[in-house]
Amino acid sequence: MSRKLGALVLALGILVGAMGIKTVLTAKMQGMAMMANGPAPVPAPRYPPPKQTPPSSFN
Amino acid sequence: MPGPIGLMIWFLGTAFELTFVVCSLARKSFLRYFFLNLYVLLSTTVSIGRFLILFSYGGAESDQYMYFYFYSDALLTLALYFALISLYSHILGELRAGEYVKWVAVFLLLGTAGFTYAVVAQSTQRLSTSFAYELSQNLYFVGLVLTYILWGAVLKLRETRTRLVQIILSLGLYFSGHAASYALMNFSGRYSLIQYLTPALACFLPLSWSVTMLRHSDESRLAPAQLVAVPR
Repeated sequence: MSRKLGALVLALGILVGAMGIKTVLTAKMQGMAMMANGPAPVPAPRYPPPKQTPPSSFN
Repeated sequence: MPGPIGLMIWFLGTAFELTFVVCSLARKSFLRYFFLNLYVLLSTTVSIGRFLILFSYGGAESDQYMYFYFYSDALLTLALYFALISLYSHILGELRAGEYVKWVAVFLLLGTAGFTYAVVAQSTQRLSTSFAYELSQNLYFVGLVLTYILWGAVLKLRETRTRLVQIILSLGLYFSGHAASYALMNFSGRYSLIQYLTPALACFLPLSWSVTMLRHSDESRLAPAQLVAVPR
């Protein structure tokens, strides 16, 4: 039982770490990342991230 | 439609994938690395399917190509996950940790699927499409973390089997390259930056695995670092 519990805790830890990395890497892409299994051309995202605009104080 | 560079990378990648399977068969390692071969064979099949759909429905911007791409990508990411777990079994096999690895793999897959479902459940779009897309992304990042943990285990256990070490290193470079390209796209906001980078990375993985299969046998061992054992 403790072995299974240890496995569960480890799995949850890995999941939390993975989702943390995903959040950091895709912060500006609204959670959207491009998958790329295989050498085929990746379809361009339909919902591109918003373009960076300077703050109004610079205008 | 992909340009000549894109097509060349695509054909090269598919050729490298077939080369890996042929090398595995030639070196009688197909069954030993069954899940790696399964992933590569599946990737080859998907690549051919994507090619047929791309040229039947008019380019990478068509809905048909996009749907096929992301559904097949989820399938491939799942296959890559099992390939990664099989590498854990190879590395931790001598510790008799097979059952532990199995339970972690099951819990992790169920946890990722549950988390993904919780995220997309409120989506107004088609649930199955969003689920496949999100699951693929999430499993990819889980794979990234698992690869680094596996590399840590290789270092800790002082693994010397050359083939396994090189296969895991290649996988680590592959995942890291993708993570770097995501980050690059994230910070620059330009899709064109990764247009050729990600397919090129997909060529690198089967090529490096093929070279490993050709150059090393299962009996090949890495020489321990000389510097560690230098007597004073």
